[in-house]
Amino acid sequence: MIEVRNVTHRFGGANKPSLPVLDDVSLTVAPGTFVSLLGPSGCGKTTLLRIMDGLVQPTSGQIFIDGSQVRKPGRDRAMVFQEFNLLPWRTALHNIEFALKLHGVPASERRGRAIEALRRVGLEKFAGFYPHQLSGGMKQRVGLARALSTNPRYLLMDEPFGALDPLVREVMQIDLLKLLDAEQRTIVFVTHSVDEAVFLSDRVIIFRAHPGAILKTLDIDLPPRRFENDEEIKASPAFVSYRNMIWHLLKEQLRQPA
Amino acid sequence: MAAFWSAHRTALTRTAAVVVFLFVWEAAVRWGGVSPLFLSSPSAVTVRLIKVFANGSIWPSLLATANVAAWGAFLAIVVGVPVGMAMGRSKLVRDTLEPFIMAMASAPIVAFLPLLIIWLGIGPTSKIALVFVGSVFVVIVNTESGVRQIDPRLIETARSFTASEFEILINIVVPGALPFMIAGVRLAIARVLIMVVVAEFYAATVGIGYLIFQAGSQYDTTLVFVGVVILAGTGVICNAALRALERHIAPWMHTDIAP
Repeated sequence: MIEVRNVTHRFGGANKPSLPVLDDVSLTVAPGTFVSLLGPSGCGKTTLLRIMDGLVQPTSGQIFIDGSQVRKPGRDRAMVFQEFNLLPWRTALHNIEFALKLHGVPASERRGRAIEALRRVGLEKFAGFYPHQLSGGMKQRVGLARALSTNPRYLLMDEPFGALDPLVREVMQIDLLKLLDAEQRTIVFVTHSVDEAVFLSDRVIIFRAHPGAILKTLDIDLPPRRFENDEEIKASPAFVSYRNMIWHLLKEQLRQPA
Repeated sequence: MAAFWSAHRTALTRTAAVVVFLFVWEAAVRWGGVSPLFLSSPSAVTVRLIKVFANGSIWPSLLATANVAAWGAFLAIVVGVPVGMAMGRSKLVRDTLEPFIMAMASAPIVAFLPLLIIWLGIGPTSKIALVFVGSVFVVIVNTESGVRQIDPRLIETARSFTASEFEILINIVVPGALPFMIAGVRLAIARVLIMVVVAEFYAATVGIGYLIFQAGSQYDTTLVFVGVVILAGTGVICNAALRALERHIAPWMHTDIAP
């Protein structure tokens, strides 16, 4: 379980006028659930994810994961980044092996686990390719394979499909749900796409901006295994009403002068 | 024919320019009334070049110069790379060393030669020192910019996968800056050659620079050109080799064509 307790964060030093990014945010992510952090740019959702990973220390407040306080990145978490962030001088396979090495996986196991991870995202034929030889969608599949190869209890995804074109994006959403279907992994997924959040999540946490704070938490009661009939789901009255409700909330916020 | 021309346009133009240049030079001396004493000629230089290698008279000069150049360049790399990396990673180190690096980049380093001779004598050591001082900052500056251009997101990603500072240095900073380091060495080689020749003009009893200087004072124009051709050839070969190495090490910087 991830517990975010009264996290406030400001950009800027002690002497400079600082910019508030997150204002007293508290939330919990239950084990085995898919939770999206949704909001307009400037709502601090990416910063909150980086704080959960331990890359950023909050100005005040704490994060607890399975009862222990997060102070730096740990092996129970793995992140998928919007810009993929693959090392350009390593092949797809070697990028994954590098992550496994950092996670302390013995050398004899790395190759097998990296190949298995590539196989799961459908890229085993591209193991020897460098990132500059891969398309955006393929790069993000490698990014996803890299994160999953370390078998993290928590998968933190920072607008992972934000840099992809809309068609690839939908395919990636479906494939992500397929990949996670048989697992009990906990996902925190940052996005500013309302449809993406509703389609993927068990729970959507909607943020407002300047400073970032939680506007509403919404449980999404749609059937499981949504990848099997994605078009039907997206046209269903339940999906449409969730989407309209969230749009309405966000529009109301954006109309109010800050 | 048109296809051949467009495919090899650059190479053909370059070759033609060199051939025309050599022809005009040869013609000026042979039929243009220019004294060979002033200009020598491509044919004379080629014959002499082959001769000095065939009879072995060039080797002592070449070895002496190569020794100074290689040691100077080696020290410039061994010192320049770590200093440049430290400057790239630490603002404190950068702010401390910046004024000295800027002074070295703008000052005529050869002016230090008399001082280096007072300190180190007229043997190879003072020349190696001059080559080192004259080229190390090029390696430092390029290594530093190589380190600073590394995408901070790659470092953050490694950190997210629990990398230590040392693991980041070895796996991200060094390979990320490597193409820039090689470019720095490539630029340094040109300065190495200048420094070694100047040092040998001023204080030497052997070496290519000394050979050129002696030949000039005896109006042996052909031998002057032989020395210049050897130095220029060395520079061109080193440059081409390091460029090939850059392309080999960092293919993602030169190509975006998917196979």
